[in-house]
Amino acid sequence: MHNLGFALEGAWKVLAAGLILGAGLPALFALGIRTLAWGDGGSAEATAGAAPHAAGKILGWLLFAIVLLGVVLGITFIVASGLGKALSFEHVFPTIVDK
Amino acid sequence: MILVLVVVTALGFDFTNGFHDTANAMATSIATKALRPKVAVALSGILNLVGAFLSVEVALTVSNAVVKIQSSNGAPKPELLADGGSALLLIVLAGLVGGIVWNLLTWLLGLPSSSSHALFGGLIGATIAGLGWAGVNWNGDGSKLDGVVGKVILPALLSPVIAGVVAAAGTWLIYRITVGVAKRFTDNGFRWGQIGSASLVSLAHGTNDAQKTMGVITLALIAAGDWTDTKSIPFWVKAACALAIAAGTYLGGWRIIRTLGKGLVEIAPPQGLAAESASAAVILASSHLGFALSTTHVATGSILGSGVGKPGAQVRWRVAGRMIAAWLITLPAAAVVGAVMWWIGNLLGGGLAGSIAVFVILLAAATYMFLRSRRTPVDHNNVNDEWEDARPAEREPAAVAS
Repeated sequence: MHNLGFALEGAWKVLAAGLILGAGLPALFALGIRTLAWGDGGSAEATAGAAPHAAGKILGWLLFAIVLLGVVLGITFIVASGLGKALSFEHVFPTIVDK
Repeated sequence: MILVLVVVTALGFDFTNGFHDTANAMATSIATKALRPKVAVALSGILNLVGAFLSVEVALTVSNAVVKIQSSNGAPKPELLADGGSALLLIVLAGLVGGIVWNLLTWLLGLPSSSSHALFGGLIGATIAGLGWAGVNWNGDGSKLDGVVGKVILPALLSPVIAGVVAAAGTWLIYRITVGVAKRFTDNGFRWGQIGSASLVSLAHGTNDAQKTMGVITLALIAAGDWTDTKSIPFWVKAACALAIAAGTYLGGWRIIRTLGKGLVEIAPPQGLAAESASAAVILASSHLGFALSTTHVATGSILGSGVGKPGAQVRWRVAGRMIAAWLITLPAAAVVGAVMWWIGNLLGGGLAGSIAVFVILLAAATYMFLRSRRTPVDHNNVNDEWEDARPAEREPAAVAS
């Protein structure tokens, strides 16, 4: 059953990547919404009448930007692999390399 | 002439592949009303079209994972090429018919089964009928994940579980983080997130699934002697496949969208975002790691997971059970149809007459199922109606399940 070994080996990698990107990014997105609501103050938050915070807005949009970056990376990955390239994370910063 | 039938049938399969899988990307967005149904299928169709054109990589060896009708460089096995390649063409034709018939039947029943399993099943059946058991690549050669077990069965078991875990974790986190935030904030924000993540799934679907048909058509062209390059695909094949899958997606398999979007779990925008993000991440990560899987299994697993992860949400396990049953029989059922088609074709000489007979049977079956579907139509108008179980009393509370 060599196949089972290969499959499990692949599976936990997919699970790890999935948890980071597929659950982590949405969580960041949710955090962005939370901070935006905090920034807005007033009726947006659970405690009514809270004061608006300018920092919340900046932080919120910053979080959205990070999520967007993740999505752009995902699209780059699809396009790159379609054109016979691969996305390399060797230098921490993603770079497009030949396969 | 046989070649023309094969190409037409392959494009037909690509079309059913499209409308069968619209639900994977768009069911959640439609159910939460983030997008109007027509807009959702149009967006998904366009992204599938774009995705299909992006798949430049040669997908010629797609059938190698399960059947031995090609050598490892993509050229058809020489012993199948006698008589203008008609032996190979008949196997491919019968296999495709098996895939289409099963796709249509599951659509009629509103079940999201895997199109790749249907295609592989059909090919496996036709190969067993045509070449015997040894013609099937059951277990690979031991050097990598390969064969029916490695490329089809194991991923089918693992991928829905992985996607479900990811989606459940995502949903749980999202609800935890946004607890207490005003609804107008969360719903609006998550709608946008949902559209983005669903678009990503559509794009990935176009690149993954259109390729398979491109590979099959090119294989047929080579077998018939109309194409010799095993390194590239004729442009018209790529364009035709891209258009077929996009048109199919735009038509929308409303029955399946309904099951996935309304039947399984009542989906709220945060869950939709979590489910689609999980699907996109799992599909992309696994194609990066060369771990073949079915978009359908991933999407269903994600949606189930988003139901498990939301505190107090209700998962209709009866519907889930029906789906899982459909997954289990997809491959063997498509294989049986593929095998029967091959026998019929072979009985009539295996040449043009046989191929035409098989094609006519396909048309008849497709027409019959289309007419059956008109009795209880599901379209963009009623896709979001309340889900009513046959026996609502048997619904299980999700608390038991989670």
